Amino acid sequence: MLPVTGSGAPPVAGPAMLSVSGLGKSFPGVRALDGVDFTARAGEVHALIGENGAGKSTLIKVLTGVYKAGEGEVRYDGSAVRFATPLQAQHAGISTIYQEVNLVPLMSVARNLFLGREPRGRLGLIDFRRMHREAQEALRGLGVRVDVRRPLRELGVGAQQMVALARAVSVDARVVIMDEPTSSLEPREVATLFGVIRMLRGRGIAVIYVSHRLDELYEVCDTVTVLRDGKAVHTGPIAELDRLRLVALMLGREIGDVREEGLTKFSGNHDTEAQPVLEATGLTVRHQLDGVSLTIRPGEVVGLGGLLGSGRSETAKAIAGALPPDSGRVVIAGVPVRTGSTPAAIRAGVSLLPEDRKAEGIVPGLSVRENIALAALPGLSRFGLVDEARIDRVVDTFMKRLRIKASGPHQKVGELSGGNQQKVLLARWLAMNPKVLLLDEPTRGIDVGAKAEVQKLIDELADDGLGVLLISSDMEELIEGSDRVVVLKDGAVVEELTGDAVTEDRLMRAIAAAPAAQATTPATSGGDDD
Amino acid sequence: MTDIGLGGRTRLDRDRLLRLLQDYGVHLGVAVLLLVNIAITPHFLSAENFRTQAVQVAPVLIVALGMALAIGSEGVDLSVGSVMALSTSLLSLYLGYGMWIALLVAVLGGAAVGVANGALIAYIGVQPIVATLALMVAGRGLAQVLLPQLKDVHDPTMASLGSGDLLGIPYLVLIAVALALLVAFVVRRTTFGRQLLAIGDSRPAAKLAGLPVRRVLILVYVCSGALAAIAGVLATARLTASDPTSLGNLMELSAITAVVVGGTPLSGGRVRIGGTVAGAVLIQLLTATLIKHDLPPSWTQIAQAVVIILAVYAARERGRR
Amino acid sequence: MKPNIFLRRTSGRTQGRASASTLLAVGLAAGLALAATGCAKSEDDKSGDSDGSKSSAAEGDAGQVVSSPGAGGGKSCVIGDYGAKKLDLKSATVGFSQSEKEANPFRIAETASMKAEAGKRGVKLLTANAQSQFSKQISDVQDLIAKGADLLVIAPLNSDGWEPVLRQAKAKHIPIVTIDRKINAAACKDYVSFIGSDFVEQGRRAADRMIAATGGKGEVAILLGAAGNNVTTDRTKGFEEQIEKKAPDLKVVFKQTGEFAREKGQQVTEQLIQSKPGIDGIYAENDEMGLGAVGALKGAGKKAGDVKIVTIDGTKNAVRGIVDGWIDGVIESNPRFGPLAFQTLDTFTKGGKVAQDIVIKDSAYTKDNAESDLGKAY
Repeated sequence: MLPVTGSGAPPVAGPAMLSVSGLGKSFPGVRALDGVDFTARAGEVHALIGENGAGKSTLIKVLTGVYKAGEGEVRYDGSAVRFATPLQAQHAGISTIYQEVNLVPLMSVARNLFLGREPRGRLGLIDFRRMHREAQEALRGLGVRVDVRRPLRELGVGAQQMVALARAVSVDARVVIMDEPTSSLEPREVATLFGVIRMLRGRGIAVIYVSHRLDELYEVCDTVTVLRDGKAVHTGPIAELDRLRLVALMLGREIGDVREEGLTKFSGNHDTEAQPVLEATGLTVRHQLDGVSLTIRPGEVVGLGGLLGSGRSETAKAIAGALPPDSGRVVIAGVPVRTGSTPAAIRAGVSLLPEDRKAEGIVPGLSVRENIALAALPGLSRFGLVDEARIDRVVDTFMKRLRIKASGPHQKVGELSGGNQQKVLLARWLAMNPKVLLLDEPTRGIDVGAKAEVQKLIDELADDGLGVLLISSDMEELIEGSDRVVVLKDGAVVEELTGDAVTEDRLMRAIAAAPAAQATTPATSGGDDD
Repeated sequence: MTDIGLGGRTRLDRDRLLRLLQDYGVHLGVAVLLLVNIAITPHFLSAENFRTQAVQVAPVLIVALGMALAIGSEGVDLSVGSVMALSTSLLSLYLGYGMWIALLVAVLGGAAVGVANGALIAYIGVQPIVATLALMVAGRGLAQVLLPQLKDVHDPTMASLGSGDLLGIPYLVLIAVALALLVAFVVRRTTFGRQLLAIGDSRPAAKLAGLPVRRVLILVYVCSGALAAIAGVLATARLTASDPTSLGNLMELSAITAVVVGGTPLSGGRVRIGGTVAGAVLIQLLTATLIKHDLPPSWTQIAQAVVIILAVYAARERGRR
Repeated sequence: MKPNIFLRRTSGRTQGRASASTLLAVGLAAGLALAATGCAKSEDDKSGDSDGSKSSAAEGDAGQVVSSPGAGGGKSCVIGDYGAKKLDLKSATVGFSQSEKEANPFRIAETASMKAEAGKRGVKLLTANAQSQFSKQISDVQDLIAKGADLLVIAPLNSDGWEPVLRQAKAKHIPIVTIDRKINAAACKDYVSFIGSDFVEQGRRAADRMIAATGGKGEVAILLGAAGNNVTTDRTKGFEEQIEKKAPDLKVVFKQTGEFAREKGQQVTEQLIQSKPGIDGIYAENDEMGLGAVGALKGAGKKAGDVKIVTIDGTKNAVRGIVDGWIDGVIESNPRFGPLAFQTLDTFTKGGKVAQDIVIKDSAYTKDNAESDLGKAY
């Protein structure tokens, strides 16, 4: 292992290595980046954070030459540049390590390290002895001890990531960009990675570090830039920014704001006395969920809070049988349900409105009518033959009740607006008479009017006695819509807010809370031990 | 809010015209070919001629029906030709028990290949083109092991199945029409049909909606296998011989052509039985025209290629919609 | 249970893997069970009369005759020129490499004839079948050499690509005789002789037969074999040249491929008799297509003899067609290479002279001899 510099040591930031100013980038219908200024300095680890759609990945793609800048300027090592391809950026000294390792799995570790720049001996042949020796040294420098002659695929994911890192470092990179590098690493591997990052910083390399895990940011980064809605809303030393403030910046909320009532169409409190309709216990999925437990009572809306990547969608999918958990139990209305089976969950009365409505929700080529009847089809059939009259009745009922606007039941769902697509999906599930409704971002990407309607519908459904799990990145929606909020962080439940504690303030504190073991960072200002 | 996603009225009219042409172009093609033939081909307008064309197209059509289901589920079944060969081998082997038993065994054999195809695709996650390619090779091999060479069929019931008729309409044609109606009914009216289309259109959505995706996929390939086996039996009856070496050769391509030309998109989610029937007839008429006028055989292939390209072009326009 | 093993290896992430392999195994097993079980009962089990084809091959009475033995112009070969050593055929091992699956009468009769002749002479015969894959044939022959074949008889699948094998055989001084198809190499150097039919001549004789049947007037159609096959080209060439020369009043008005298959022959003939009801004769380049044409004519309500049919090959079914009156003549393409191949090897290994190109004399079947010679057909 390397000598690890203490995280408290103040870094001496060098000159700007890679910077953008006034960067703008638009896609049809979306303004992804808008006047962003960002500077990565030599010998500095710069955190880049933001919620979904904030513009992180677009910014990285501009920096690495995947996208061309719309407006603004990219400067590298003191001069303006325009990378036409990722390869150009790479040759210039900008290395990127993605979540998925992009190496050649069948080639040896050493070949991968030196791919395209193998050491040559006489006659221009590859000098394998030298290559193996240098590869061994390079990896040992990163604290990795493997036989470099073995094919890469025989290594674990973590070790592969290390090889990718070694490659990135050994190509004389001057800027290293890491996109969620720890998402599939074990804790021990994370520690090694951090050691390497500190070593890179010591060598005067600029590191840009993208992650959703706040603890990691505070552990390894020097500077932070927060992106929100395509704008850089804050840049500064991370030590001067407490966690709560950081979360507030990401979510775009002010701490201590007086909470305005009535911003949403939620009416608020529901009865919470009855027996739970959903009890999930210890749901665990490797690298994704870590023992998530929650209960929902009939007529209750439970919010699921947390940052991007905290395991909210995964929790919903695990309950709905779409993500097989390694362990954990799901009980619906007192009856245990076989996990990992969507049909079993649906039969038990669980309905999931998935986050990706277009890809996983609607069947775009089929009509409104067919989409509504889809899940309930067996119940609307006799001897395998579809009972058209009954379907017509059901479809008619729900189109009216949910106020679905379409030219008629035979219009293709793909042609409807987002809000109406969402209502069609709701209708599909309501036709099943569910007990629990899992709503993953039910109002994302739909216009204001439709949003209010959907929110009102959710309320009505809870009043009718359904248990609702609500996932939303919209703070107002989550706070006003939920009777309780379960807060997730890194795949585990960190807190549950009930009653008067369901406030934005408390939610953000919960999200920002440092792990109990690490009391060094001053983040929580008390009050969250109820 | 309820935007339909199309432009102004004139665009709408043009789009509608284009869509009509895409949907019914194959019928138009059949009509044009009929008129051309009536005009230039001697002895075309005779009952005997239409009978010949109908009898020849029947096996292709029956195979194409199964293929349409497979393609509708966003798959494909390359093993149909081999299933025909397997079916003719089994038929010959069991004909000693009488035609009906032999027919049952042949259809069961086809269904068994379908189960294997479906299981590979639905459970193991092998791509349909690869899974059915494997069964295509294995099926033909098995057929030839069972019956190493052509063998004549003497069974009188088989002979009358192949050349007999009811009220002047050959049994083969009646069976093909009945099967086409049956498959159309299944697609339109049954739970299975609806689920098949949903799975073909968006597999993730179908899965999350709790559809029995695996069961439906297996059933699709069982149907395709059984239909191909029936086609194999009928072709055998017509030839009054079992020829596992050459029966069904390149049948998968003819069937795919009929389905695609008939307007069923390869991307799944839609099955057009009427179009498939017209597609099969179109190819048959095209081949017949070229043969009757004694044009070189390579022309037939070129003409088929042109038709396929036109159909695919139309499908591309449809996709951009 | 082979499918099961295969599955276990390939199956991966899906949890339904156990049930999947069960399903698949059931599917395949069902198919295999249908096949392998003794409960199969084919039609002919009742009568059991059509086994004649196998026994007749062994009879040898239809063994080949050289059309022009030692004929002028033809080059010959002796053992000294080839560079092999004399040996006694009786104590030698002969390797035979068959090209195509024994799935058609020709190949079946060919292999059976080789085996029968070897048995008769008491020679040890090793056989291999390339299953229509050329790469397999190459390795088959190499295997035969490795297994100690002193002499080789090869029915080549392709004409080209034989260099490595020939070189290997040369190194061991193994004489090679090729049958039914030629290989592109030097006779008496790379191989000893080629024994086979003259396909062009077969076409000419078919034309003669057609002229006799139609009286040299009228319109005839040709059912071509598979495209791009030298058998097709030669049989077409011989037929057309002869018609042009001998009977200018006989017109070829229709030429379509039936791909050597009965079903295609039937389909094409159906189209033909629709569009040209007055056709006088059909020349089918093999028996199978001819039988398909018979089926089409029957289906169209024609009577035997309305359309004259001449075919090439001489399979039992076609010769029976002559007896029934549907087929007018069958030009034989004799597959019984056994006697002649062994005779050639015998002469050669004793030091005698053998021709480099041995063209066999194919007989023909007509009304006059069909009934009596039915046993000779294969």
